[in-house]
Amino acid sequence: MLNTIMKSKVFGWVDRRTGAEAIIKSQLTEYPAPKNLNYMWNFGSLALLVLVLQILTGIFLAMYYKPSAAATYGHYTVAFDSVERIMRDVNFGWLLRYMHAVGASAFFVVVYMHIGRGLYYGSYKEPRELLWIIGVVILLIMQGAAFFGYLLPWGQMSFWGATVITNLFGALPVIGEYLQQLLRGGFAVGDPTLNRFFSLHYLFPLLLVAIVGGHVHALHVVHSNNPEGIDLTKDEEKIMFHPYYTIKDAFGVAVFLLFYCYFVFFNPQAWGFFIEVDNYVPANSLATPSHIAPVWYLTPWYTILRSFPDKLVGVLAMGGSLAILFALPFLDRSKVRSARYRPVFKQMVILFFIDVIVLGYCGHTPPTPTLKLVGQIATFYYFAFFFLLLIVPKFEKTKPVPEGI
Amino acid sequence: MKLKQLLVAIGALAVLPFAQSAVAHEGVALKHAAVNLEDQAQIRRGLTVFTDVCMGCHSATYITYKGLMDYPELGLNRAQVDELRGEHALTEGLRTDLSAEDAKDSYGKVPPDLSLIVAARHGGPNYVYSILTGFEHDPDGRVPDGNFNEYFPGHRIAMPDPLSWLDHEEGDTAQLEQDAQDVAAFLAFVSDPHQNQRHAIGKWVLGFLLLLTLVLWRLKVEIWKDVKH
Amino acid sequence: MTEQANESRRNFLYLAAGGLGGVAAAATAVPFIGSMFPAADTLAASKTEFDVSTVAPGQLVVILWQGKPVFITHRTPELLKEVDGHDDMLKDKDSKAIPEVEQPWMNTPERRKYRSIKPEYLVISAICTHLGCIPGYKPSAGRKEWGDAVPENWPGGWQCPCHGSLYDISARVINGSPAPFNLHALPYEYLTDTKVVIG
Repeated sequence: MLNTIMKSKVFGWVDRRTGAEAIIKSQLTEYPAPKNLNYMWNFGSLALLVLVLQILTGIFLAMYYKPSAAATYGHYTVAFDSVERIMRDVNFGWLLRYMHAVGASAFFVVVYMHIGRGLYYGSYKEPRELLWIIGVVILLIMQGAAFFGYLLPWGQMSFWGATVITNLFGALPVIGEYLQQLLRGGFAVGDPTLNRFFSLHYLFPLLLVAIVGGHVHALHVVHSNNPEGIDLTKDEEKIMFHPYYTIKDAFGVAVFLLFYCYFVFFNPQAWGFFIEVDNYVPANSLATPSHIAPVWYLTPWYTILRSFPDKLVGVLAMGGSLAILFALPFLDRSKVRSARYRPVFKQMVILFFIDVIVLGYCGHTPPTPTLKLVGQIATFYYFAFFFLLLIVPKFEKTKPVPEGI
Repeated sequence: MKLKQLLVAIGALAVLPFAQSAVAHEGVALKHAAVNLEDQAQIRRGLTVFTDVCMGCHSATYITYKGLMDYPELGLNRAQVDELRGEHALTEGLRTDLSAEDAKDSYGKVPPDLSLIVAARHGGPNYVYSILTGFEHDPDGRVPDGNFNEYFPGHRIAMPDPLSWLDHEEGDTAQLEQDAQDVAAFLAFVSDPHQNQRHAIGKWVLGFLLLLTLVLWRLKVEIWKDVKH
Repeated sequence: MTEQANESRRNFLYLAAGGLGGVAAAATAVPFIGSMFPAADTLAASKTEFDVSTVAPGQLVVILWQGKPVFITHRTPELLKEVDGHDDMLKDKDSKAIPEVEQPWMNTPERRKYRSIKPEYLVISAICTHLGCIPGYKPSAGRKEWGDAVPENWPGGWQCPCHGSLYDISARVINGSPAPFNLHALPYEYLTDTKVVIG
């Protein structure tokens, strides 16, 4: 079908004025990719799909959503009412809302798998350091967009989650208080906060489109890594992206949609993980819910924050845990990329994955002294992982890396 | 450890938090309500309980009188709705006549709107049913300034026994249980009125996606035969 | 497996995948475009009920229907007599010029002349068919106060303040007015003896 379009007169007219054919061929259809990529390489295209879904559903939701904390009836507000109107009165509004809420969590599932692939197979190593760094920027913007978006329904969790997180900025010395007021637009989370968070929530995903473009461009310059972690020099080791990876990605999309649509149509709240029970209660600035936790995809960092008794140290540690991701390509100096050939690194990185899950569990569950200790140990290993990488290459006996595939 | 084994291990760990959903998040296991949202008779009975009993103090502002006609799960006719709404407009939500101030004076707190109560509580309709049939006498005065409820977190609930569960005759138990379940069904419907439609569409979507996945899988396998891998 | 069988299986699978993909894309578009159509609460507001017994004889009431103004006039027997006797002054005495000036309920000559279901209560659009202003109510009663502002032989009805269009007491446009058509008729019906629902 693409072939028929590209042979048409109209396309010829456009191509002469844009060079479209050359771009499509070099970047998509005839783009060379390693022939040994496994299904862990599907998550990049899935992330792009979810980004598009979120933007589409978001734009249509924004046709009805109203970012105002003005009171209507009882504790209900204009914002909360507008979400309920979407759920009840807008044609297929319930579907758009559930797609958007499930999509937010799906985005993080897919991106965490994508990052996990990068960690395990050494996709952050030379010459892909900048590709990795752009990816970390994408992760941060995603977290920002999710944080801003979560305030919009103006439920109890929305309000109190935003209150706690904006409080954190107050912990920074000197500038903390001003930064807090700047974020909130007032002395507490309120209507100004809601309005500006709506604006930023709309902006960030559009920024992402541009940055993802940069991410894909950076990738196309250095080309994909592969599960063996070796540079591919021979032509027969590569295959054209179309049809092999276009179809394989399409298959991956279909499998993803099965899971996604199960949740959208049969379990959108996902037992309280995607839409929290407390968020069906309208925001009440005078009553804190018994258990505040961020949404699951932010819980690992929440645990790191809470692992330190001093508020400022906690904030710095949380920021540090994200900042250290930028440094990864420069901390890990091993010449071997893939964990398949790095026995020590392999165990460390698998432990790291488990560690992040443990951090998440501790952040989500109501705190107990045992859980706090577990969280602290997990926080320690999180940072230890990165610093250990500095010395691992000195003693790790890597397995011999294959010549080709 | 192979990657596959790793993923299985992660999956197993990830199941942990799901165990929490069965309990009323502070210990006591909830009773199970027999709720069927495709049973129009049950939802209508629940509406009657709601308008006869609950609306004395509670609103359900997100369900309108017109909605009582338009949603097939209720499907009342114009005459029935006119009887219920009195002077209120068709497009108004079901609101109680009890003012917030009077409520505060009588009960100490304002009775919450019930439009989303089933979604806003762990256990959903089971929670509503358990609360309504969970009132108990409190001779030891464990809850001196409230009402003792077996299932309410903390056991002290500001709402007095609305269905007269306390001191009811044995012969009435079945009826009261049914009233409680019926109103739980009505409230479960009100909190997410499109859920039946959503499930119906979902079956078609998942069926279609299974077919699409199958086709794309076979296509992938077929064209990858060209590649030595 | 032969080359040919492979080829035909491959083609079939491509076709099947493409076809299913197309169905998926079309099905996905449905909720997005569908959500842009008026929501249920907006449609509920698409009908307005009104109790005509609240309008005193000779009085005019203006209400909103779908956000647009509507006249409801209680015509006295004297005013009803004013409907006849000036057919030659009317651009469109039978309300047939365009579809918007007539309605299915105008199925008798009487209803067509009075432009209402019950003669005493006129329920008509208040938007001047020239450029959209709301005409002023000037029934024959009280015309002495109007002075020289209105034409001598005009039987009374409505006069638009913006560009001077004139309508009779059945909201039919008078010759010489800038407005091209009678005030538009509306879909309405009586739910009870006194309650109409417009829309």
